[in-house]
Amino acid sequence: MDFYIGLAQIIGVHTLLGLSAYCVLLTGQVSLAQAGFFAIGAYVAGMLTVLAQWPLIPALVAAAIVAGAMACAVGFPALRVKGLMLVVATIAFGEAVRLFFFNFTYQLERGELRIGPHGGEGFRQIRYFPEHGWSTLDVMLFIWAVVVMVMALLWWMDRSRAGAVLRAVGDDELAAQSTGINITAVKVSAMTIGGVIAGLGGGLFAHYTTHIEHVQFGVVLATFAIAYPILGGLSSVFGTLMAVVFIQGFLIEGLRFMGDWRNLLFGGLIVLAMNMRPHGLLDAGTLLAVRRLIFRGKERANA
Amino acid sequence: MDLLDLIDTVQSVADGVLFGATYALLGIGFTLIFGVMYKINLAYAAASIGAAYASLLILAGVKAQPILVFLAAAGCGGIIGWLIYLVGFRFIPLANPLATLMSTVGLLLLIDEIIVHTTAGVPLNYPALFADVIIRAGPFNLRGDLLFVFALGCLCMVVLLLMLYRTQLGLATRAVSQQPVAAQLCGISITAVNALTFIVTGFLGGIAGAMIGAAIGMLSPLLSLPLTVKGLIVTVIGGLGSIPGAIIAGLVVGGLENVFQFFRGVSERDLYVMLLLFAFLVFRPRGLFASPHVGD
Amino acid sequence: MLKGYAALAALGAIAAFGLAAPASAQERTVKITGFGAKSGVVRVFGINSEAALKAAAEQINNAGGVTLGDGSKAKFVIEFLDDRCNAEEGISVVRRIASTDAFVAVGPTCSNVAESLFGILQKKVGDTSDSGLQFPIIADVAAKGGLAKISEWAFRNVPSEFEMYKSLFAWLKTQHPQLKTIYGGVEKDFAHSNATFGVMKAQAEANGLQILGQGEWLLADTTFSTQVREMRRANADIVAISAHPFTTCGVLKEMDRQGVKPKLLIGLTSSSSIETLQGCAKQAEGIIIPTSFAPVTPEATKAAEQVAKFGGSADLHSAAAYEIMFILKDVIEQQKIMAKPDTVAADRDKMRQGLAALKETNGLLGKVGRTADREAIKPFLYVHAKDGSWQVLYKPAS
Repeated sequence: MDFYIGLAQIIGVHTLLGLSAYCVLLTGQVSLAQAGFFAIGAYVAGMLTVLAQWPLIPALVAAAIVAGAMACAVGFPALRVKGLMLVVATIAFGEAVRLFFFNFTYQLERGELRIGPHGGEGFRQIRYFPEHGWSTLDVMLFIWAVVVMVMALLWWMDRSRAGAVLRAVGDDELAAQSTGINITAVKVSAMTIGGVIAGLGGGLFAHYTTHIEHVQFGVVLATFAIAYPILGGLSSVFGTLMAVVFIQGFLIEGLRFMGDWRNLLFGGLIVLAMNMRPHGLLDAGTLLAVRRLIFRGKERANA
Repeated sequence: MDLLDLIDTVQSVADGVLFGATYALLGIGFTLIFGVMYKINLAYAAASIGAAYASLLILAGVKAQPILVFLAAAGCGGIIGWLIYLVGFRFIPLANPLATLMSTVGLLLLIDEIIVHTTAGVPLNYPALFADVIIRAGPFNLRGDLLFVFALGCLCMVVLLLMLYRTQLGLATRAVSQQPVAAQLCGISITAVNALTFIVTGFLGGIAGAMIGAAIGMLSPLLSLPLTVKGLIVTVIGGLGSIPGAIIAGLVVGGLENVFQFFRGVSERDLYVMLLLFAFLVFRPRGLFASPHVGD
Repeated sequence: MLKGYAALAALGAIAAFGLAAPASAQERTVKITGFGAKSGVVRVFGINSEAALKAAAEQINNAGGVTLGDGSKAKFVIEFLDDRCNAEEGISVVRRIASTDAFVAVGPTCSNVAESLFGILQKKVGDTSDSGLQFPIIADVAAKGGLAKISEWAFRNVPSEFEMYKSLFAWLKTQHPQLKTIYGGVEKDFAHSNATFGVMKAQAEANGLQILGQGEWLLADTTFSTQVREMRRANADIVAISAHPFTTCGVLKEMDRQGVKPKLLIGLTSSSSIETLQGCAKQAEGIIIPTSFAPVTPEATKAAEQVAKFGGSADLHSAAAYEIMFILKDVIEQQKIMAKPDTVAADRDKMRQGLAALKETNGLLGKVGRTADREAIKPFLYVHAKDGSWQVLYKPAS
């Protein structure tokens, strides 16, 4: 049972990572910098609970704010580049953050131990959860409370004017601009929201793995971050959730019985998925079909 | 800064520029695909290394001349390039850049895993030509094998430019990249041109992989990810879609990388490369040579 | 029709008896799950560990198996799970193992996975306010210093780099008193090489060597000309390289190119494997590395053969896994572990107690001591690369 709860924890945190990229992808920006904001959230939250002895929730909020602020700062120069150049610029930013933490050492003496981030060796013993007696179930419920909150926010935003504005900018910038939408504000806001969500995810990540180091926040994690919304489809937040469940639950844990073949199938199935469903698992068509199924019998105007 | 430091700096730059020829080859591959199809092939560097591994596998039992191994790598590169096109691009609607991005990510993971599974992740020796030759020019040393890599890289670039500007295929490729609809109206098959572009860049990638293996003396699965990042950076600095840009950017990045390392040490070296990229994005976003046929 | 039912019932009865009879003489098995990296550049470690665990299990099974608490004999069955050198996956794998009847797990390969994994374990036994996992884990490969200290449920059977290099430098001083200077090289972004380099430097200084400088590079670096040029200028008597085979070979090849020929070469423990020889046997000629495994005793030679039978190769890392199986057998028998579905929690406690109480275990090179913070003090020897293979240079008296 513990195993499934642990898996649910992982799915929750990765959903946050995916949602942070989803936000930014809605506006048409492919950002591989989310792993960088994730890392910032992780280190800030870890340092606050371990070094400054803050309680968890304020630490997470602070982590989210710092990550969001960083994202805002990145959002402005990111406006100047589009397409492949943005991809490369965000990869470079993510790597720059990782390299910063590779060189970052800030340790305090606690009795005979030295605690805190230690450059290449990472930041160990972020044991807030076990020290405060949180069981695996407690942690999972907490993580999912955050995830549900974020998903609810995003889903509500999607149904409101803000969501339409975001998608308009993503679909056709020129047309959006000509209706009076402030592109700069929209793109930077999306980037900031993405940063906040990634910061929350990172903070939770640091606490449930108890040890973070620069290597974990590299290009691979950044790629997973955009893989979730792309594979899941940009039509709905649930697409990202489905993609996380597919990758973490099915590909990584479910295929374990295949032994060595699992890793080969990993890449192969992603390629297959993109060929068969280029708009993602939950694309607009599927979403419509699902909606019709749920609201069968009710008269619904065309979506 | 005394004379010794000056000599060291120049030596660092020279070493870096020679190795930068390999980055240039990778940059050309990325930029060509982007120039023609407006898509990124993230699996390109991994495919190049994969082609080098494949050449080792094919000629495993035979004690082959290094030149044969390089040619085998080029051939394998071409085949892998075509396979990547088939599996990652052919059946995905062109208007869907995100899907092809993800499919190439999947291919990157797949190629890496295939390499790891067949070799158990252990580094393999790669043959080099002129490995024992060191040219001493005054206080400077120039590695013979790196000079060969550099020369071969330059040769490839010249051949590629000739192909693009002097052959029918090149004409068709440029036509498709500039005006796909008009090209189709002239009877040029877009799928054929795209496939051929992948094969040609795959060929080039195979040579790049072989050159990288020869320059380092070994192949390792560790190489694919850092090379992908460097290749992309070179592509952007050089200007998307511009081949001369990729060449110069590759050499520049190679040289500067070594200079950064010489002055600031290895922990900060990559940070400075990123800052270099950011500087270009801020001051010269279209790269060194803005290409005329890039739609953005 | 009644006849048909009667026949069926008769058949059923016979079947029931038939099944019941062998049940009492049925073989019991104890499943031991190992886990480690079978993906990426570290795949070879996972392959070797798995082969070593299986080889040791076969040896034990052929000798009759392990005696459980109720007196019955059981055979070991080995399962190996891949954690891809990823902390989250490592935690997930251990949770998976902990939800079965397992009472111990062997692994991980990567030190970063061990950091996270040991971090989620209960820190102190009996601390009810600590909700950490209560499951004993014994590591075969993860070699970064001081990891077992993290939790009282964490144990390791890895060599102490500190002891090995301390002994090596002291011995080198007696053998080569005329060598006075040393230049170092380190892979900075890998925790293991970085930490061991610190040990190398400290021991060099403690033995009167003057450190002339150090070259630094990253795990995936491909050019070392700048670092080796500095090395050449320093012209030290000894060069010590703390890096894994890929970059060690890169540096050695560059040294060969630039004509840097120190009087003595010292390497990192993990580089005393076939990888280094496959990559640069010629340039690595003469490099001295301390290791806790070499086929110098009859047990070690036999173990090497057995591990090769299962598709792996025996080196200091997989030898640790091999030894662990025998340690587990001893603890199971000493603590009278029952290995039944209803004794799982008790078995885990017993395993932890048993492992913690060990003062000494059997290693392939001799007796292995155990420390209070659950680490191992393994006998070691020095090997050097000669004619394309690793040969024993010197075996210090224990």
